[in-house]
Amino acid sequence: MRSFATLLWLEYRRSRTWAAALLGSLFFWWWGLHQVRVVEVGEQLGIRAGLLAMASIVAIIILAIMIGRIRGETRGGQFQVLLLSPPSGYSHLLARFTFAMAVAFIYAVCIGALAAWTGSQAGVIFAARSLVDMMLRLPIYVLGILVAPILAWTILLMVFSGAYRVSSLNWVPGTVMVLATPFVLRHLMEWTIRAFYTLPGWRFLNQFALALFHDANTDIEMYGEIPDVQFLFTASDQYIGFPQEMFWIFLLAAAVMLALAGRIWQEVEA
Amino acid sequence: MLASLEHVTKRYVKNEGLRDLTLGFPAGEVVGVLGLNGSGKSTLLKLLAGLLFPTSGRVSAFGGLPRRNRAKIVFLGENDALWPWMTPADAGYFMRTLYADFDSVRFHELLRGLEVPLRKTKTMSKGERGRLRLAMALARDAKLYLLDEPLAGIDLISREKILSSIVREWHTDETILLSTHEVAEAEGLFERVLYLRDGRLALDVSAESLREQGKSVVDAFREVLT
Amino acid sequence: MTTNKDEWSLDMSGGPIFEQIAKNVHQMLARGALSPGDKLPSARDLAATLNVNPNTIVHAYAELESHGVIEKRRGLGTFVRMDAPIDGLRHDMLHQAATAYADEGRQLDATIQEAITALKEVWDAG
Repeated sequence: MRSFATLLWLEYRRSRTWAAALLGSLFFWWWGLHQVRVVEVGEQLGIRAGLLAMASIVAIIILAIMIGRIRGETRGGQFQVLLLSPPSGYSHLLARFTFAMAVAFIYAVCIGALAAWTGSQAGVIFAARSLVDMMLRLPIYVLGILVAPILAWTILLMVFSGAYRVSSLNWVPGTVMVLATPFVLRHLMEWTIRAFYTLPGWRFLNQFALALFHDANTDIEMYGEIPDVQFLFTASDQYIGFPQEMFWIFLLAAAVMLALAGRIWQEVEA
Repeated sequence: MLASLEHVTKRYVKNEGLRDLTLGFPAGEVVGVLGLNGSGKSTLLKLLAGLLFPTSGRVSAFGGLPRRNRAKIVFLGENDALWPWMTPADAGYFMRTLYADFDSVRFHELLRGLEVPLRKTKTMSKGERGRLRLAMALARDAKLYLLDEPLAGIDLISREKILSSIVREWHTDETILLSTHEVAEAEGLFERVLYLRDGRLALDVSAESLREQGKSVVDAFREVLT
Repeated sequence: MTTNKDEWSLDMSGGPIFEQIAKNVHQMLARGALSPGDKLPSARDLAATLNVNPNTIVHAYAELESHGVIEKRRGLGTFVRMDAPIDGLRHDMLHQAATAYADEGRQLDATIQEAITALKEVWDAG
């Protein structure tokens, strides 16, 4: 496992500027949140929630870019060095993924902290459990259902398009993969939704959930769509929480994509 | 045979390719791979390294696919590169922890002998980078060395140092394939010389037997390839 | 023992390298640059100095050994034999030089007297 440590080190050294910039940008978001001085609390919260959402989306994009630089290294010749090194493609890609996820985790925890701060500015008093939910459990949930699959997909796409670099049709597999993704995603979502709540839901933020729910219409039945908050409740006003299945299935999908990428690495020419 | 090609053809979009090449490399040979640009020298070495796969035919090294046996193979390419922020110390760490056959002590001796500065590679000249990569390659204890134009674009003194380091580090059970345009300087090292022309083998001969006929490897180059 | 590359003057078009190396050793012995009992560089060291394959040096040393000029002493290295036939080598080399001179002279239709006179002039001057 000494070699995996080296691969992590390598990933850290070549990506640390990106990681530093990303984590540094949190100050910018905090400052932005701080600047929101609209008088109406509801609007204020809305704007701030919007800022936090933007911060999250931008981070995911940047992480994807950070992780997807395989093609740049192909031209630079470093990819050849990696291809010839003893560790398998799985190790190389897992190291990249692990580093990006570690950065993502730190970022997500910070966003959770900012959200808690935002809430406290609006006068909300958080229970200790809610703070842990905001800063740890919910970030991990989002990492699993969103960040991990996106990063794994980016890695797969990069290796896939790198594999056919030499042939004249090198844009075909990459394009195929991009086009196929919505279909695969749709089917995956259908299956996942069918499995919802076979396991007990994860009840993050009950404090909020109930508060939110009481604002909403209690007669409305469960919807099948995310991210409508109604679907987190049953028709009988019980907070059933976030579905575990989505977390595990999407994490599994990420693992499958990484494994596939690792396999393709074996077949890549340089 | 340590490594071999059987009826290997490699078709490429660019000009370099190989056509129906069959070659065997026993252990302990130092082989020169010579030819004009685009004759297939790089392709041959990359196939043996497992960086390329043949369009048809079979390439094997150590009884299997080269890529699978990459721990026993050293490939020093023209285009491979280290990261610009890496120093020789970083490179040493990289090699030491990823390659079981890497000798750190020898690496540092080679760095000294080849006068490699201990700075980031982005601040090094091409010659210094070449010497660093050579030190990394020679500090390994592999059985098959594939050196693709290790002397290209490197000053005369460095070239002599590189050749003499190769001589010093070679063991009699190792096989080296070295492709170069610096034929006159390198020819002394070769026991066997392969002349490639347009992806085919034009001549496969022992260097000393050429000299028995009063021809140097360079003389034969002119005969065979023009 | 010289480890200077230029002193070995290898010519890649001048026949097999191992023969040239052996010949160089003969010359060094004949001229006194090497003496009986002197240690020769290891095959690898000499190969690295001359940028030549070590097997070629091994081949050259084997030639020299078969001519009774050098010997390998276990664990110590390769040495010029105490009984190396230096006089014989000197004789052979003088003869070789003489053969070249004689050939040149015959091509110029010189008499033996003319040849000796020319040689004497050059010899005394040099």
